[in-house]
Amino acid sequence: MSKALIIDDEQQMRRLLRMLLESRGYEVCEADEGQRGLQEAAFHRPDVVLLDLGLPGLGGLEVLKRLREWSDVPVLILSVRDQEATKVQALEIGADDYVTKPFGSAELLARLDVIQRRRGPRHTPEIIAGPLKVDLLHHEAQIAEEALKLTPTEFALLKVLTEHAGRIVTQNQIVKQVWPGQSSDPSEGLRVHINHLRKKLGERGVRIVNEPGIGYRLEVE
Amino acid sequence: MNDPSKPRQAVPVHVVGQFSWGLTILFVLASVCWVLLPYTGSTFSALVFLLAIVLAGTRWNRGPVLAMGVVSALVWNFIFIPPRFTFHIEKPEDVVMFAMFFVVALSMGHLITQLRERESALERTHREQEQLQEAKHRAELAAEAERLHRTLLDSVSHELKTPITIIRTALDGLGTSNPFAAEIDTATRRLQRIVENFLEITRVESDAVKPAPDWCEFLDVIHSATSPLQRELLPHPLRILGAENLPLLKLDSRLLSQALANVLHNATQHVPAGSEIEIHATLTPESALEIRVRDHGPGLPPEMEERVFEKFARAPGAPAGGTGLGLAISRGLMRAMKGDITVHNHPEGGAEFRFSLPVKTRQP
Repeated sequence: MSKALIIDDEQQMRRLLRMLLESRGYEVCEADEGQRGLQEAAFHRPDVVLLDLGLPGLGGLEVLKRLREWSDVPVLILSVRDQEATKVQALEIGADDYVTKPFGSAELLARLDVIQRRRGPRHTPEIIAGPLKVDLLHHEAQIAEEALKLTPTEFALLKVLTEHAGRIVTQNQIVKQVWPGQSSDPSEGLRVHINHLRKKLGERGVRIVNEPGIGYRLEVE
Repeated sequence: MNDPSKPRQAVPVHVVGQFSWGLTILFVLASVCWVLLPYTGSTFSALVFLLAIVLAGTRWNRGPVLAMGVVSALVWNFIFIPPRFTFHIEKPEDVVMFAMFFVVALSMGHLITQLRERESALERTHREQEQLQEAKHRAELAAEAERLHRTLLDSVSHELKTPITIIRTALDGLGTSNPFAAEIDTATRRLQRIVENFLEITRVESDAVKPAPDWCEFLDVIHSATSPLQRELLPHPLRILGAENLPLLKLDSRLLSQALANVLHNATQHVPAGSEIEIHATLTPESALEIRVRDHGPGLPPEMEERVFEKFARAPGAPAGGTGLGLAISRGLMRAMKGDITVHNHPEGGAEFRFSLPVKTRQP
């Protein structure tokens, strides 16, 4: 049974999320402000954290920063702010994904599932996401049993996206992994490679979805 | 003004004026001293000249003042030092006097104009600093006002959206199989739309919309515009033309997709179910992106072509439930990006919205 920690200042929101999560078999603990949230996280060792960005006192971003100093528990950001910059900031501090209020329950639960699946040491040199198979040993990728002809950059790009399958990856995070040490703004190059990669992936159950101002998400149908 | 950044040009008119005034004054003073010479002696006239130079130095440029110094020395020599009306000087002490006068006149003129120039330069710097301070203060105030405004918008947004989130989450838990719950669901979505529109028009009107252009693909823009409208677009087949020929575009895809989404939503509200909506995108030779969104509905009533973009403008016969803000937001967003949106009736029926937006492009 997974343990979830809800850090949100709205009592009603916490109560509803608790009902929703408990109906899905989660064990739930909650905190109404940042400092307490950090204590609860240390005490209960949750498997996943739902963190509201608009907390009074110690703000959501700050809580996340402090949490990340000692824990790599998956964190889902709940935010009403539709300002892209804040979300990107949270993701780059170490949040795993976000949902924007008002969100649908199905969306929230799906995101929670995905972010808990990640992490842990990899035991095989293969990453699999639906019909997509990325072989890190031989630098090969297959989709629906068919080999993909990729350039080294495209392969690196596909690797990053597949490792985070279902989760958002910010543009910066992609750039850091695909073009390490690059200082100029390669966003234009990134689009070009994404475009090529999309064409090669075709319509075979794997899509690269752009979230404007934030980044990309590899979606498996 | 002496602006050091400007190259030196022909002597300004006021300096020419100072030269002629200087000569005139010397002439007048020389005549007066000539008349008084029997009573005062030549030293008096030298002092009068020096006084004139000092006074001129407090107001005029260096050139005319130094010229006055030279001319007055010569005039003094010519008229007042014997033998008169020659430049020749007989007595050795007069030669010394003349040399001293010459040096004193020139250095006085020089020092005084220099002093004055420094003073005015200092004053100018001071004034500039004051202006700078003032500009800085104004900028700080504006930034503070903007920050306050944004905080207010954020907190209003938080306050309004939290209850909607709660209702929607609760409804999700309840399920919408109960027809009453289904009604609440529909109303909540409508309320959410209204709240979002009001917040957005506030942002647009307070210039809080700051475009952040980045490279993107047009199909991504369409995707972000249509995915929140899945329900509304369900009865309307969407035909997208020209998108595959477009290069990479540099634009703020979030703002453009929002502007597009509002127009699409508006179309779904005015056309009969089952009718197609076409999106046609092209790049004009002036490298502007042009998007035409055409529906096959009844078109716009006459004289509504401009008015639809006004706030709260409602076409007669429009279905209830709209805020009358969607198109105003679209226009606000397009203009914030230096583009525009217009609408007219298509000759073959239906309304056609035309977005235009200057963009940078790059072939993929």
